[in-house]
Parts: sequence; C-alpha cells; structure tokens
Amino acid sequence: MFISKKHLSRRAVLRGAVGFTVGLPLLDAMVPAARAAPPPQLRFGAVYVPNGVRPEIWTPPPGEKLTLPPLLARFEPMRDRINIVTGLTSSPQSEHHSATSLWLHGGYLRKTEGADVRNAQTLDQHIADAIGQSTALPSLELGIEDMSGSPGSCAFGFSCIYMNTLAWRTPTAPLPMELNPQTVFERLFGDSGTPEQRAARWREKSSMLDSVLAAAKSLNADLGPQDRVTVDEYLDNVREVERRIQLAERQLDSGIDLPAAPTGVPSSYEEHVKLMYDLVALAFRADVTRVFTFMKGVEASPINYPQIGVPESHHIVSHHENKPEAQQKYAKINAYHLGLFADFVESLSATRDGDGSLLDHSLLLYGSGMGNGNVHDHRKLPLMLAGGAGGRLRGGRHIANPDPTPMANLIASLGDVAGIELAGLENATGRVAL
Amino acid sequence: MSRTLRQAAAGAALAALVLAGGCSRSPEQLAAEQHAVVERYCADCHSSAEREADLVLENADLLHPETHAAAWEKVIHKLDVGLMPPPGEPRPDRKAALGLARYLEAKLDAAAAAAPKPGRQPLHRLNRAEYGNAIRDLLGFSVDVEQLLPADSSSHGFDNVSDVLKTSPLLLERYLTLGMLVAGTAVGDTTIAPRAVHYAPRPDLSQNRWIEGLPLGTRGGLVVEHYFPVDGTYELRPELWEAAASTVRGLEGFKTPFEYEMLLDGVVVHRATLGGVEDDALSNRDQGSATASAQERIRARLPITAGVHKLGFTFVMKSFAIEQRVLQPFESDLPAGNDAYGWPRIAQVLVTGPFEATGPGDTPVRRAIFTCRPSAAIADVDCAEQILGRLARRAYSRPVKETELRTLLDFYAQGSGGGRDFERGIELALARMISGPEFLFRGAKRASGAPDAVRPVDDVTLASRLALFLWSSIPDDELLDAAIAGRLSDSKTLEAQVRRMLADPRAEALVANFAEQWLQLRNIAAKTPDLLEFPDWDDNLRKDMVRETHLLLRHVMLDDASVLDLVGADYSFMNERLAQHYGIDGVFGDAFRRVQLTDPNRRGLLGHGSILFETSVATRTSPVFRGKWIMTNVYDSPPIPPPPNVPSLDDSAPAAKPQSVRERLERHREDPVCAGCHLTMDPPGFALENFDAVGRWRDTDAGRPVDATGKLSDGTEVSGPAALREAILNRPEVFAGTLTKKLMTYALARGLEPEDMPAARAIVRAAAKDDYRFSALVLGIVQSVPFRMTGGEPPEAVAANK
Repeated sequence: MFISKKHLSRRAVLRGAVGFTVGLPLLDAMVPAARAAPPPQLRFGAVYVPNGVRPEIWTPPPGEKLTLPPLLARFEPMRDRINIVTGLTSSPQSEHHSATSLWLHGGYLRKTEGADVRNAQTLDQHIADAIGQSTALPSLELGIEDMSGSPGSCAFGFSCIYMNTLAWRTPTAPLPMELNPQTVFERLFGDSGTPEQRAARWREKSSMLDSVLAAAKSLNADLGPQDRVTVDEYLDNVREVERRIQLAERQLDSGIDLPAAPTGVPSSYEEHVKLMYDLVALAFRADVTRVFTFMKGVEASPINYPQIGVPESHHIVSHHENKPEAQQKYAKINAYHLGLFADFVESLSATRDGDGSLLDHSLLLYGSGMGNGNVHDHRKLPLMLAGGAGGRLRGGRHIANPDPTPMANLIASLGDVAGIELAGLENATGRVAL
Repeated sequence: MSRTLRQAAAGAALAALVLAGGCSRSPEQLAAEQHAVVERYCADCHSSAEREADLVLENADLLHPETHAAAWEKVIHKLDVGLMPPPGEPRPDRKAALGLARYLEAKLDAAAAAAPKPGRQPLHRLNRAEYGNAIRDLLGFSVDVEQLLPADSSSHGFDNVSDVLKTSPLLLERYLTLGMLVAGTAVGDTTIAPRAVHYAPRPDLSQNRWIEGLPLGTRGGLVVEHYFPVDGTYELRPELWEAAASTVRGLEGFKTPFEYEMLLDGVVVHRATLGGVEDDALSNRDQGSATASAQERIRARLPITAGVHKLGFTFVMKSFAIEQRVLQPFESDLPAGNDAYGWPRIAQVLVTGPFEATGPGDTPVRRAIFTCRPSAAIADVDCAEQILGRLARRAYSRPVKETELRTLLDFYAQGSGGGRDFERGIELALARMISGPEFLFRGAKRASGAPDAVRPVDDVTLASRLALFLWSSIPDDELLDAAIAGRLSDSKTLEAQVRRMLADPRAEALVANFAEQWLQLRNIAAKTPDLLEFPDWDDNLRKDMVRETHLLLRHVMLDDASVLDLVGADYSFMNERLAQHYGIDGVFGDAFRRVQLTDPNRRGLLGHGSILFETSVATRTSPVFRGKWIMTNVYDSPPIPPPPNVPSLDDSAPAAKPQSVRERLERHREDPVCAGCHLTMDPPGFALENFDAVGRWRDTDAGRPVDATGKLSDGTEVSGPAALREAILNRPEVFAGTLTKKLMTYALARGLEPEDMPAARAIVRAAAKDDYRFSALVLGIVQSVPFRMTGGEPPEAVAANK
C-alpha cells in the first residue's frame, strides 16, 4: 500500500493539534537529583491494561492530597500507599498497534512489519540491568492473551511484536510474554520433582548448554552475514540461560515451601490473572526475580467479560461512542482490572520482607498507554504508582501535571527513584516531581 | 505546463501515435504510446512537483520500466484492481488501463527472465507449530506445544516468517525443558516427575447434546487423546461446572439422578450418579458439602499403560420428556453466563501422573526408537550409535557429521553412566538432539567468505523447504533419500514428490497453518456475539462454522479442486445445526456432509458463517470489516488504517430514529478524510448486508429493507452477494493472483518483494491453463525462481560484516 500525500498532510495536521507543547521548564526545576544507587531491596513491576480508561472517571479532584474517585474506591484501604499521576501523554505514535511497546519509554518505534523492528530499551529492563543480575531471572514477563492466532489484527504496517510485549531487552530484542502459569512456575522454581531430581536436571541442562553453545558456534562458520546475526543472538541467549541456571543451582534451597505447580492455563480470566499475581508475589518472596512486567490484555483485546455483566469485547466497549451504557460497561472492565491489582498490592503489603513488607520495597506502575479509548487518545493517560520504593516514594498524593506532559518524563523520574540515570529519553522534556 | 495544456499535448501525441501505428511497431513506439497514457492520466498528481504518494511518473521511462521495477509493480497492481486513478478523477477506459498494466508486466517479466533475482533465503527457526509437527514425525507422538512453548510473532500475515522468528532466553529455556520432557516421554523414563495436563472445553460449548467422539446415547462432556509416558497410576480428575455461588448444576431439584461415566478407549472405567433425592436433600442442608462430594465422586485413580489413550468424561443421555422445559429452549445452555439451572456440565479435566510407575511399557514409540539392544552381538555404544545416527539424520534432515554424532554419543555416555543404563543414555542424547541449533534451525549454508552468488538451492535444503511448506514439519525418509541422492532437483522427481506430499495426511498443515492464517479464521475463537441479540449462539455453532470452511478449504487444497471454488463453489459442507442456521432444509443429523447449494447467494467463502461472523462486531454487521476482508483477501489491497484521533461521527450527531448499519456508515463516509478509503472499501461490504452478524440471511435491517448495492473499485455495479461473487469471478486471475502471493509468502517464509512479482504472474498464468487447480499453484511455486534459487545478498550486508 502507499499512502497519498493528501491523507498524510491531514494526519499531520491532526497530529499537530494534539502534539506536545514545547518545553516544561517548571518541571525541570522540581527535579530531584538522581540517586546514586537503587534501594537495596527494590522490586519493580509494571502492569498494563489495554484500551485506556476515560480520564473523566480516572482523574481525582484537584489538590495534592488524594481523594479517590468512585472508580478507584477499592484502593481506599491502601490510599496512602498509592499515587495517581495525571496529565501525562504518550508519544503521538501511540495507538493500539504500538501503545504497549511505547509505554515504558515514551518515545517512538520504527514502523515496520519486517525483521528490522526497533524500539527503545524499556524502563523495566534498565532497572533489571541494575538490580536483576543477582537473581536467577533478571526479569519476568507475563501476559494473559495468546495473540499468535490473530495475525490480522496487527497488520497495519506494524509488526505484531509491538503489540505482544511491554518489555524490550534492547532496542531490537523484544521479550516474549509468558502466558502459561505452569511454565512460569517451572522457570521460577525448576521442574517439579524432589530437590535431588531438580538438582540433577539443572546439572544436565548445564552440560547441554555447553554443547549447544559449541554447536551454534560451528554453525556460524557456514553462514552469510545476515544469518550470522541470528545465530549471534541465539548465542547470547544461550549464555544468558547458562548464567541463570548457575544462579538457580545456588538458589535451590531458598527455604520457601513451594505450593504445587499450577497446571496449565486456567479457563477463567480471573483465575488466570490471580495466578500470575500469586507467582509474582512468590518470586519476589523467594528473590528469584526483582522485576516483572504484566500485560492484563493486549491492545484491542477481544476478551469479553460476561462474569461482570459485559458480554461485549473490551475493545468494542472502549469505542463507546459517548453512549452512557457503553461507557458504564467500559468502566466496569476498568474497575474489574483495578480490583485484581488491588488484591495483589494487598498481598505484597501482607508479606514480610526484611525490615518491612514487600510493598514497602516495591515500585509499581499501573496503567495504560491510552486515555479515552474511544478516540485512541494518547493523552491523559490513566497512571497509578504503588509501593514505597524502599522509602523513596511517599503515597496518598494526586500528582497532577500540566496536560500534555510527556510520559517519557515519568519514565525518567521513575528511573531516578530506582536509582538509575536515564539520559536522552526520546520526547523527555524534564521530570515529573515524585 | 498547466494541467489542461499538458493533457491536450499528451492527447495530441496519443492521437498521432495511433495514426502512425502499424502492425509491427518498434519498442520505442510502444513505449511512447504507453507514455502518453501515463502522462495524461497519472502524471498530474504523480508529478515532480506534487509527488503524490511519493511517486513521480512524470517523464517516466517506459522503454525500460525495469530500472524502477518497485514503482511500476505498484502501478500494475493499482491499475488491475481499479484503484487508480482515484474515483472522481478522469480515468482511461478499462481496456487502456489494463493495456498499460499488461505492457508493463511484459517488460518487467522479460527483464526478470534475463536476470533472475531470487532473494535471500534466511536461516529459519522452527516455529511452534513446526516444532510440534517435527517432534510428532520424528518420534510418533504429539506434544501440546501451545501450552508448552511461547507464541511466535507473525509478520506479513503469517507466523512462519523467518526474519521475525527470533530467539529469547525464555524460548531457549523452554526448548531445554521440553527437550527433556519429550525425550523422557518417548523413552518411557520411569523416574519422570508427575505432571498435570489440563484439558477444558470452552465455557460456551453447550453440553445438552451429543459431543462428537463420545459414544452415541451420551450427552455433553469432553473427549481427549492423552499420551501416557509410562505404565503407572494416573489421576483422572474432571471437574463439574460451578455457577457463581459454587452450585453444581443438577444436584438440586431432580428426582432422577444423572448418570456420569468415565471412559478409557471407549470402555467405562468409572461411574457415578449426581442429583436425585439424596443429593437434593444434602444440598438443601449443606450446599458446600454436596458440591464437594459430587466433585469427589467423579474422579478416579487408575492404572494405565504407556502410550496414547482416548479418555472420555460424559453423561448418559436423558430424555427431554423427563423434565419440564420451555417449548423452544435456546440452543446455548449457558446463555446468561452464570446459570445455576440446567444439566451438569464438565468444566475441565486434569490428568496427573505418573504415580507409582511400574515400567516403560511397550509402545510403538519405544519400538521405533530401540531398533537394537546391547547384547553379546552388539556393544552398547555401537547400538547407541545406530539408534542416534538414524534419528539425528531425520531430526537434522541431512547427513549427520562425525562431530555431531560424537556429541550425541558423549551425552549417551553421560546419561547411561558409562553404559550401565542404556535407555537413560539414549534419553539424554535424544534430549540434546532436539534442544540444539542443528534441529531448531534450517537454512542454506554457503561457502564462507565468498560473495553470495545467485545459485540453485542445494537438494537437501530444498527438501527441508518443501517439508516446511507442505507439512509444516521435517522431511520424511523418502524425501530425504531423494535429496541426499541428489535426485530432488530433477523437476520430474520434484513434481512427483510434491504430489505425494500433497496426498499425505501431513498436508493438513496447509489448511491448519496456511489457510487459517490467510483467512484469519483463528480470530473466530476469540469472538463472541452479543448473547442477548443472538441467544442461540454457542461454541458448537462456532465450531460448525469453522468446520464448514475447513472442509471447503480441505477439499479445494487436498482434493485438488479449482481455487476459484473458494469463491464460487455451488456446494458446501454442513450438518443439521448449520443447515438450519442458514435456513437450508433436508440436512439431518450431526455428521457433516457435502450439500449442493441451490441459493447462489450462499456460494463460496463469502456465504460462510465463519467469514461473515468474523467480519462483524458483537451486535451488528460491519460492512467496513467485510469490505476490508474482501479488499485484502480477494484484491490484495488492504486498506490503510484510519488516521489516529478521528472522532466517530456518531459523537456529534446522535440519531433521532433507529438507523441501519448502512445509514450510519453513509454519514461516516461524508467526511473527506474517511471517504478516500471507504469509497473503495465499503461497497463490497455493503453487497453482503443481506447476511447478519452471525451469517443468517435477512431482508431487513432496523426495520428497513436491506440495501445491498454498491460500486466496486473497477466500476462494476453490484447488488447482493451473488452479484459480488460474479464480479469477482469475472476476473479469476485477480483472486488467483492474491491467493498465489499469499501462498508464496507462506512458502518462502518471507514478505514478497517487487522482484518476486514476475514469478507470481507466471504461476498464475500457468495455473489458468489448468483451471486454477490448487496443485498447479503449489507446483508453480515450488518450481519458481524464488523457491528454487537463492543468493544475491546486498553487497553492503557483506561489507558490514567485515
């Protein structure tokens, strides 16, 4: 397909109308200097919900002290542990087919369906670089929906990879989301069986990896330059798995009684989501990983929610056309997702972790890459922060920003809280005062 | 030059040329004629000043279009489909437009024949489906890869595109874990850890009737084929569906109990009763205990032998007469989503084990692996070498190198403890074999350091490509033998092998992987219509719809019919439920059979419920989605997505009275931003408006007669589904061309380039002579330059690596 210039120019106008205002010097002044190092027990998590939330029901009343709107009522018991961030905007490129991949850096990605996908490294992976290397898994990527069967839904010139993940290890290496709780469990804690059996398996895997590494190297000799890139990537991945297995062998006795391994993907959405959250909490507790991303649905999600009285698909009701009935259903789904997250936050706050709770040491970001899903609005994003980040984040606030403030500013600020310096983020014009 | 002036000048030049034109004109004269057409109708917008679509056709070189092949290929396509010049602008008559297209084609095809550009064949990692099939064909049992491997990303509409089949630590970990699991299962390792495998019918599968695969006289339930790794005890744990308040259906309110049965290979191995007087009393007193007791009753722990077994969990059919029911119950047994009334349903089944493994058992899988045993006649290492050498040749699909065999024997030595445990040694070596790059990657090697010349693909690589294309798997021994002997590149042998492979059951993969993705049939699983609007909808109907389409595709592809039957077949495949849904009489029973269609509107894929439902939204039809589907799958012209942040028109002007879908869309099309695409995309969708959102015929929408008229992009006026189908079949080469390009994308496992178009055209032209039979397309692709040849890497890639 080629696009006629007339269409392009109309789009450019549309884009211009909602583009960024330049420079937000006020915010710069509020920036705290980046801390030198991450808090010692920091955990990081980002939870994504697709299709946006209407800003009208998300935004708390003005004032820094947080008053929860009805949509967020479930968070009343933990109001002083969360912050609502408003006024942020994703990059103008953010749409169903790109919003997830853009969310955790706030810049742009390359429009392509081919192998030359390019995004930016995402916040979770920057944090994993800093705090994930001492755990068996530097990070954990979780999802709910298997989109492998829907190639038609992301074929607008953008690779499906952009829709299928939040996490990019490097600008060219997207990390797939794991959907099956059973395999997540096996990754975290090894195969089922007795500790001796599991130890023996780890050893066999180690020697197998050595051999696979050697085979891949010799394969490389026969290949052309482009294929060698593929094999080099494979080699890097083998080395990474080797490192993990060595760490896992050391962590075999973490002293935690493991529950029985889950068995496959539950048929109920709710059970599936809860199981994923349980696994994250377990992994945090056992210190198998300190960083996770979780996608509660893919953009344009076709999931429907009869269990809460919404028989239509999430995507369809998000295009509510300003009809009250559709807006109510849209809000029901939003509240349902929020409720499941609230359960997770409560479980972290009930789990001891050294001198406090897991929640005390966590920095959690919850939200979407769209505001009002009806018009695919990339402005007024629904965003929430939860947890104490090891004493670096105070809760109970409505952190209002002038609209539009780039999402990249929040990413940079979250980097500050996590003690990492994120320089040169595309679209960033300063910091959000956290 | 002003626009009118230039048009006048071009017109004069054209007239002069026509006057001067004799029987044999020089190439220069022919080029000048076409040049005049381009100048007159194209070059105004595609001028060096306007650069519409970043394409300049002003003063184009029509004598040597091959110097800008990519641009001209686009021009050919736009002319063929009638998308250019755009509606409303002056257009050459259809003959002149197609004449220009044919002229360009002839030039480009001749240039391609003189200097073939096959494109690169990248290294290919087996995708999830291919991995699963390869394991099945190597070892003889199926692995549930969808539960055990992460999903692959797709590109260009398919999930087998080599360039995007990347690796990740997660994936490698899974390969490793899965490799060990598969090897342990194949060998029958009695120390294998117990594992739970989960099976579940969809919640919207109605269980009030017989389910295919279970004995007649049963009602509802689930049947699965499960591979048991060893002889041992297994727990079979079905669960009854519970409504929100933990109520199991059927426990209360029934005097006659329900009879539940568990079947192993068709034999009842466990029975229980549910409901009846005692359960009713217990449930009224203590609902929780009643539920727990019912769930407990239907489970069993049984000794089961190794190998594949068919497990059934079902109920004995009760007569409807026993129960008082409304006169015409909905087909769906869970229309409200959370209904505690009605008959019990099976929600899911867990198969867990082995516990107390008693032995590896005697399975065909084991017999195929252990072709020798260490004995006085043969040392254990020699026997291991024999077994592993044979398996590795199949797994790697080529002659196995000495070093590779050594590696496998090292693992044999490690696993067997120096020969003490022969089977464990084979198991570990097998795990290594299927976890490594030798198995996972396929591709053409090349002489290292040499520039990548255009050359034929070697026979062994060709065999792997064929197997991936036609079977989504690895070659079998016959194909591999022909390749290793160097016979496969002989075109007679190649054709014979292709025909043999198409006749093999493994070719079902073409339907499951190519056709389902091409037509986006997999989307249907994730869709449900509004159940208040369509209360009879359930998964049974969804499955029937998909089955119909599957059977037509299967018939065309594997029984080798004309691919035009996909559009125009006057027959289809249905059972009673589907026929009733369509309003077709005389089809009785659950079995699918071929049905002759009398109504021309119902013919072909555009009359299939699956396609019509897939292209609708939950509450209504979507002419836009249907039009998009037709533009994409028939005309190979997928519309560009809507611009971001365009508010839906309904926002600004709420309708005073109910409007048909068409009326609402017509208003949308008034916006010039939208009209550009919607003018070409919507009309084919409008023509299908007589089919509702679940594919039933209708004459009215929102109380008004359906308006199914529209003007297609090439100017054809159509009204209704039958006329649309006629219009498509009037130009069979267009639909056949689209299918060919999709099939080529899938076969080559890469996106098509302009350089591939001459090959695509040649395939379609040749297939036309064979009534567009599916085998003609497949053979055309297999014999084509892009499939048979490789090389010509861009020099910068070589340079970049140095």
